[in-house]
Amino acid sequence: MSATGKCILVIDDEDIVRVSCTRILTARGYEVDAAAYCADGLQMLEENTYDLVLTDFKMPHMDGIELAAHIIEKYPGIKIVLFTGYTTEETIELARKRGIHAFMEKPFTPEKLAQTVAEVLGE
Amino acid sequence: MFNFRRPFGSLAGKLIVVTGVMLFGGSLLVGLLYFKFSENIMVHSLMRHGRASADLVERAIHDGMLNARFDAMQRTLAALANSEDIRDIKVLKKDGTVVFASDPGELGNQVPVTKAFASAARGIESGPEIVAARSGEKLVTVNLPIMNERPCFNAACHVHREDENILGVLQTGFPTTAIEATRERMFQGTLFFGTIVVVLASTMLALILYHFVSKPVAELEGGMKRLARGDFETPIEIHSRDEMGLLAETFNSMAGEVKRYREHMEDWTQSLQDEVDKKTAEIVNAQEQIINAEKLASLGRMAAGVAHELNSPLTGIVTFAHLMRERTAPDKKQDIEDLDTIIEQAERCTKIIKGMLGFARKGASEATETDVNDLLRETVGMVQNQIKVQNIGIEVALGEGLPQIHIDPNQLQQVFLNLITNAVDAMGEHGRISIATRLVGATPEQNVEIEITDTGPGIYPNNLDKIFEPFFTTKPVGKGTGLGLPVSYGIVKKHDGDIVVKSKLGEGTSFFVRLPVPKPEEA
Repeated sequence: MSATGKCILVIDDEDIVRVSCTRILTARGYEVDAAAYCADGLQMLEENTYDLVLTDFKMPHMDGIELAAHIIEKYPGIKIVLFTGYTTEETIELARKRGIHAFMEKPFTPEKLAQTVAEVLGE
Repeated sequence: MFNFRRPFGSLAGKLIVVTGVMLFGGSLLVGLLYFKFSENIMVHSLMRHGRASADLVERAIHDGMLNARFDAMQRTLAALANSEDIRDIKVLKKDGTVVFASDPGELGNQVPVTKAFASAARGIESGPEIVAARSGEKLVTVNLPIMNERPCFNAACHVHREDENILGVLQTGFPTTAIEATRERMFQGTLFFGTIVVVLASTMLALILYHFVSKPVAELEGGMKRLARGDFETPIEIHSRDEMGLLAETFNSMAGEVKRYREHMEDWTQSLQDEVDKKTAEIVNAQEQIINAEKLASLGRMAAGVAHELNSPLTGIVTFAHLMRERTAPDKKQDIEDLDTIIEQAERCTKIIKGMLGFARKGASEATETDVNDLLRETVGMVQNQIKVQNIGIEVALGEGLPQIHIDPNQLQQVFLNLITNAVDAMGEHGRISIATRLVGATPEQNVEIEITDTGPGIYPNNLDKIFEPFFTTKPVGKGTGLGLPVSYGIVKKHDGDIVVKSKLGEGTSFFVRLPVPKPEEA
């Protein structure tokens, strides 16, 4: 993977997930920011421009799908990848309808994450 | 049988007593009448005798009276009255004054004017009567009127007038001893023969009653007791053509009816019992299924929660192990090997979690009209190589003309794969696996049954009810997650089907998956 200069925002309440994503994607040349809370993430979206947002389907205080839908509505060009763990087929179907671009099953390998991100960004 | 302990309690006893009393009463009445009749005859004969004796007396004293030889008359009377038969002779005036008497002491006495005497004084003969003599002895007296005759009023003495019809009364007294003795003998005879008649008649009656009543009644009683004990086979043996025979015949036919009715009742009770047992088993089964489903559901929720919580730390482990491996120098083989082990074990954890999630996963599936036989052929194709490697024989006997069923082929394939893999794992290096399909039940409750049988060691009976519980496994550590069968169970249940296991130690295990055939209106 080559460095692309694309910016990615990771919103996840789990430290280890944020750190993992940051480490994997930074190593592949992406610029990565991370937020533990939705509010922080939305704030960062206001302040910076991101090409892709990685967020969890299930987080405290906010539904990942709602958050994603909100981001897509506000920033139409942005791509969204949703982490899924325990999800039903209906949920995935619902997320797809809301315009979410890809799903990433936890736990994931570095290759898998890098591959999915690259595909979504059309690289 | 006649009841000797309660002789008056039994019908025959009562009949004997009543008839005996009636016979005794009747005999007594007849005896009494006979006695009275005989007494009458005796009295008549006594009258005749008395009259004859009185005539004799009259003739004996006739001359004496006419010739007024009163002394000679008195002597004649005394002589006559001294006999065995005649005790006392009196010639009385119509007013009862004794004119002549065999007992001189009586002369001039006044006898009581009795009815018979008064009657004789008027010239009418009447029956004898019993009077007490002066001596106190009881006498039977016959009163005869003394008629006036020519010599009487022509005689020199001129005692009587010509116009007198009745001159007096001749009263002759006979002793009653002979009569009393006869009466006594007659009474005793009557009593004796009467008693014999009563005893004989009662005995005869007892015998007749025993034969015609007591014995058949005892037979009937025995029959009824047998019936009460539940013996319907022994009939009552009374073959007489009377009411008893009819009663026995009716009773026997009633016993037959009762027997038939009881058999009917027993059959009915049995079928009712069977029905109750069947329903009870169904209820127990349904309860178990509900409990099982509830248990599985809560375990599923727990599994989902655990899986979700484990996903993030596992992500960290996998990521950092990979990152570390990427920057490890190729010559540090031991480090690379260790990191590979971490990655491998983390992946194993991931698989377990996926299994748990598969077990917990609910919701709609992509059900389509599916040919189970096609699905099974495809599934067998997937595992055929592995089966051959393990030297295991495979028999596939798929039923023809099975209807298509509405299932999610991917999920059901997972079930079949799981069952086949379990069978292969159970058999090890040799054995035979049989796969069969068939249609069971009648419309509208038809099912397609898929049987997967192995010749493995079988499942311990104690384990049979645990095999569908999550995390229960008998496979070596690392080989089984204990989630295959629960997940299969969940899938089959979601399809409104059922999965049943039959196993015999040392012989093998059969799994039967039943999936409902859509009802015509649903199809």
